[in-house]
Amino acid sequence: MNMRPGGELAARELHFLWIVDCSGSMGVDGKIEELNNAIDEALPGMREVAADNPNAQLLIRAIRFSNGAQWHVLKPVAIEEFQWEPLSADGVTDLGAALAEVAEQLSIERMPQRALPPVLVLISDGQPTDDYKAGLKKLLGQPWGAKAVRIAIAIGRDADHGPLQEFIGNIEFKPLQANNAERLAQLIKWASTAVVKAASAPSSQVVQAGPVGNVPIPEPPVESGESGVDDVW
Amino acid sequence: MYQLLKINQTVRAEASKTACRVTRFLGGGGQGEVYAADWDGSAVALKWYFPQSATEEQRLLLEDLIHRSAPDARFLWPIELASSSDVPGFGYVMRLREQRFKGIVALMKRQVEVSFRTLVTACFELADSYYQLHANGLCYRDISFGNVFFDPETGEVLICDNDNVAVNRQAGGGVLGTPKFMAPEIVRGEAAPSRDTDLYSLAALLFYMLIVHHPLEGRRESAIKCFDLPAMTKIYGTDPLFIFDPDDESNRPDPVFHANALAFWPIYPKLIRELFTRSFTEGLRNSQGRVRETEWRSAMIQLRDRILYCTECGAENFFDQSAEAARKCWSCEKPIRLPYRLQIGAKTVVMLNHDTRLHHHHLDESRRYDFGRPAAEVVRHPQDTRVWGLKNLTDAKWSSTTADGAVSAVEPGRSVRLARGTRINFGTSQVEIFAPED
Repeated sequence: MNMRPGGELAARELHFLWIVDCSGSMGVDGKIEELNNAIDEALPGMREVAADNPNAQLLIRAIRFSNGAQWHVLKPVAIEEFQWEPLSADGVTDLGAALAEVAEQLSIERMPQRALPPVLVLISDGQPTDDYKAGLKKLLGQPWGAKAVRIAIAIGRDADHGPLQEFIGNIEFKPLQANNAERLAQLIKWASTAVVKAASAPSSQVVQAGPVGNVPIPEPPVESGESGVDDVW
Repeated sequence: MYQLLKINQTVRAEASKTACRVTRFLGGGGQGEVYAADWDGSAVALKWYFPQSATEEQRLLLEDLIHRSAPDARFLWPIELASSSDVPGFGYVMRLREQRFKGIVALMKRQVEVSFRTLVTACFELADSYYQLHANGLCYRDISFGNVFFDPETGEVLICDNDNVAVNRQAGGGVLGTPKFMAPEIVRGEAAPSRDTDLYSLAALLFYMLIVHHPLEGRRESAIKCFDLPAMTKIYGTDPLFIFDPDDESNRPDPVFHANALAFWPIYPKLIRELFTRSFTEGLRNSQGRVRETEWRSAMIQLRDRILYCTECGAENFFDQSAEAARKCWSCEKPIRLPYRLQIGAKTVVMLNHDTRLHHHHLDESRRYDFGRPAAEVVRHPQDTRVWGLKNLTDAKWSSTTADGAVSAVEPGRSVRLARGTRINFGTSQVEIFAPED
C-alpha cells in the first residue's frame, strides 16, 4: 500500500537532439570515432543530470548528415534506455537537409502539448554543401525551433564557423572549437549535461552581467591550455 | 560538469597545513564540484570552485563562516579552506554526508516512500534548522531541494552547500537562488537574497515536500507550451498566483497535469492550509507578511500530533475540526473513525493512537520542542486489552480526575485509563481527554 497519495512530481519533456556531420572528412584521423566515443562517455553524466532533476523527462534523438540527412534515432528515447550506436562517415555535408528534417520533427503537431525548450547540438567539421540557409529558415520558422537552445561544436581547423554561428542565432554565443579528442569530449559532456540542466531546472543562479536568452546557458568549460596550467602535474 | 580535481590528487587544508587527498567524485553544482576525500585519515567532503566562482569575495565569505561555526549539527558547515599550488582557485573541507540521508529529489520522484509522520518530522527539522541559522543573524540565500537531505526512517535532516550563507543584509553578489524557489522580488530583479527571501524559499520547499507540487503551477503554467526563462519569470516573478488563492480561482491546478496538488491539499488540516495560503498570497506581495520559521515549527508539530490511523486500511490521516475537513480516509475512502484525543490548552490536540508517545514538549510549556525521553505513552490494560491508558514515564506523580469527579494519583510507571472527560494534571500543565465521538 502507498503510504501517501499521488504520484511523482509533474515533469515536462525535454527533447535533446544531436545533429551530427558524417561527411567523408569526419572519417579522416578517426574524428568520427572520437565523436562516437565522446557521446558514449557523456551518457552516464546525462543520466545523472536526469536522475537529479524531477522537473524534466529527458528524451534523446539523433540525426546524421552527409549525402542528404538520415535519422540515426528518430523516435525520442528516454535517457535511461538510450544507447549510442556508432556513426560512420562518408559523402558531403548536407547540413540544410538535416535542419529541415529537424524542423519537421519540431513542428507543433509532432511535439507534445507542453515541454521544456529543446536542446539542439550541432557538430560539424566542414562547410555545408547544400542550401543550409533554407533548412535553417525552416527550423527557425517552427516555434519550437526558434525557442530551442542551439549549441554548435566545430571540429578541427577547417570547420566553417559562419553557418554554425547562424545556427546559434545569437552573436553573444560563439561556436565552440574542438581541436582534439579531449576537448571534443569535454564540450560534448558540457552540452549534454550543463546545458541540459540549465534548460530543465537551472541550478543555483549567480549574478551575471552576461547575456541571458530564453535559457541561461552556463559558461562552457575552459580549455586546459587557456587556464595557464600544465596538463600534467 | 567537468572534473576540476583528479582522483588521488592532494590539496592542502590551509589552517592545519594538512594534506587532503581526493578519493572520489561526488557531483557538480552551479558553482563547483564536490569530492570525497581523505583528510588525515578521516573521510570528508571537499568542495572545489569553478574558476569563475573562485572569487576573493567567496573566499572571504568562507573565512567568515569557518570562523563562526555551524548553527547546529544539521548543517554540513565549512571546516577549513583548501588550496593547491597545482590547481587554480580553492575549495573547502566539510563533513561527509552519511549514506542514510537521501535527497529531496528522490522524494519528488517517489523513489523513496515515507510515512506522513517522517515527512512532517523532516519539515519540522528544516524549519527549526533555518530558524537557528537566522537566529544567528545569517541567511542561507539558496534554499532548494538540491541542498537538503533527510533520513527516510527518522526524518532527521542535513543541510548542505552552506557556502552561500552570509550575514543578513550584508551579503554582496554571488548567488541569487534556484529557480522555482526564488522569491518573486528576486526573480523580478528587485531584491537580493535575504532572510525574508529565505522564508519564501522555505515555504516553497515545505509545499513541495508535503504536496509534491509547486504552489504557483496551476492553469497558467499548463497553458504555456514552451516553459523557458521568460515563461518562468512570468509564473514565478511578474505574474505569480497561488493555485489555491481563496480570492482568485483562475490559477487552480489542472487535473491532467497537477493531480498531486488536488490529491494532497484536502488531506491536510486547516492550520497547514492557512499557513500555505498566507505564504503564497500575502507572502508573494509583501516580504514582511511571510510565515516565520517559528510558525512553521509549531504548525508541523501540531500536524504530527494530529496523525491518526484509518481503522480499515491503516493509512495515516489527519484530524481536522474545521467544517470543510475530509471525513473519509484518503486511501480506502471509508469514513474515518477517531481515536481518543488529548486537548492541551487552546491549540494543541494530540491523537491517542496505539503508538502515541507524549514528550516534555507536550506537558511543559518551558520545554517546547524537547522530544528527548518520552514522558507518556499509550498502553493497553494488561488484563483487559479493550481498555487503553496513558502511562506515566516521568519521575513525577500526576493526578487524574474523571468526568464524575473521582481523583486519583498516577505514580511514575502507572497508567490512567483513557475515558471521556478525564483530566490529567502533569504538574506542569493540565489536559483533557476527549472521546472519539466528541
